[in-house]
Amino acid sequence: MIQAIPNAPAVELIGVSKRYGLATVIDNVSLTIPRGTTLGLIGPNGAGKSTTIRMLMGILAPTVGRVRVLGIDVATDAVQIRRRIGYVPERHDIYPWMTLGEVIGFTRPFYETWDDSFCREMIDLFELDLRKKVKQLSKGMLVKLGLLLAVSHRPELLILDEPTTGLDPIVHEDFLDGVLRSICDGHCTVLFSSHNLGDIGRLADSVCILRQGRIMVQRGIEDLLASAKRVRAVLTDGHLPRWVPERTLWQQVQRREWLLTIDGFSPDVAEQIKAENPVESIEVFDLSLADLFRDYILGERAHR
Amino acid sequence: MTQRIEPDSHVPVYLQIVERLRSAIAAGVYQPGEALPSLRALATHLKVNPNTVQRAYEELDRQGLVKSHRGVGMFVARRGAQSARDRAEDSAQTALVQAVTAAAAAGLSTSRIRELFEASLDQVFVAEGGRP
Repeated sequence: MIQAIPNAPAVELIGVSKRYGLATVIDNVSLTIPRGTTLGLIGPNGAGKSTTIRMLMGILAPTVGRVRVLGIDVATDAVQIRRRIGYVPERHDIYPWMTLGEVIGFTRPFYETWDDSFCREMIDLFELDLRKKVKQLSKGMLVKLGLLLAVSHRPELLILDEPTTGLDPIVHEDFLDGVLRSICDGHCTVLFSSHNLGDIGRLADSVCILRQGRIMVQRGIEDLLASAKRVRAVLTDGHLPRWVPERTLWQQVQRREWLLTIDGFSPDVAEQIKAENPVESIEVFDLSLADLFRDYILGERAHR
Repeated sequence: MTQRIEPDSHVPVYLQIVERLRSAIAAGVYQPGEALPSLRALATHLKVNPNTVQRAYEELDRQGLVKSHRGVGMFVARRGAQSARDRAEDSAQTALVQAVTAAAAAGLSTSRIRELFEASLDQVFVAEGGRP
């Protein structure tokens, strides 16, 4: 029996890198998810989201660094961890010849904490027909079944890998409902990767933006929206910007218009832009998560 | 309370919830002494994380609109409706100041801005058979 650290964060990655030959897929990532919170993992395709998740699941081993889940080192006891977490993969491999009732009956004995009444609640919420065979299910129904199987044992940590990709709006809403019931009823921690920033805004307390295997930012969403602002300055004819604030994520000059996205913005920063540059006027705008995501990704590309 | 939450707005989700509940309290949907919905109920209804609803309730508490009774829930404060209306006045004024600033920046005269304001009042209240 391996001793777990009590009250440890639900997830801890410490200096984790993953290399395949010369290719670095994850580059020195450190990430902590406190218990009872929900983290949204976002990034372009190939940024390392699925690799990160598969290292948490013990499916992949890191080349360097430590991965701890619920206070337990994944390298030492992945089996114990698997019993206490729920996982919804991007692609489901549930036995196609079984009926839904059989799949549930087959999965249940693996978990001491299986909650029949919660399982029933999910069956009703998702309107699943237990007599149907898995191979007869639509994509939406299959995704719902996957979530049901991942949450019915009341996991301490729920991991979702791009779960809502390709769902119709009604199934999508049912799915969010299912995830929320799992969050509301226990003290469940959730990690989910998604391209859907609306889902991130609804479900996540904090967000982690990955790009090319590195973390661009990990922060509470409210904090991020309060701190990062877009500035539009009108340049004096025939002049270019001279001074750019230190925490500029992205900028663009087009004719007289100079646009900047600045993290850690304050009125002092605006004053300094005015004092140090040939600008006629300055306006400050709030940004949405989608704007910020774009600026973090595009801004980094521009620096290369 | 039919207006949907915009999860990808520049306004944080918790502030959208604060605004919604503030206007519901001002309008008397929830009266002083009455309980607000539980975290779970409101979170699943709006399809948002319960931590976000909690954050909105804390903000309403800070603004004096609601009082929390530990273990029981959130209740509209005695002067909750009045505070909610005061807050509404504040945010209306902020919005008007913003609009006037933009109009002035575009070179409109004071008298032209006043005309536009009067026209807006007429436009909004025409459906209700003239201004109150």
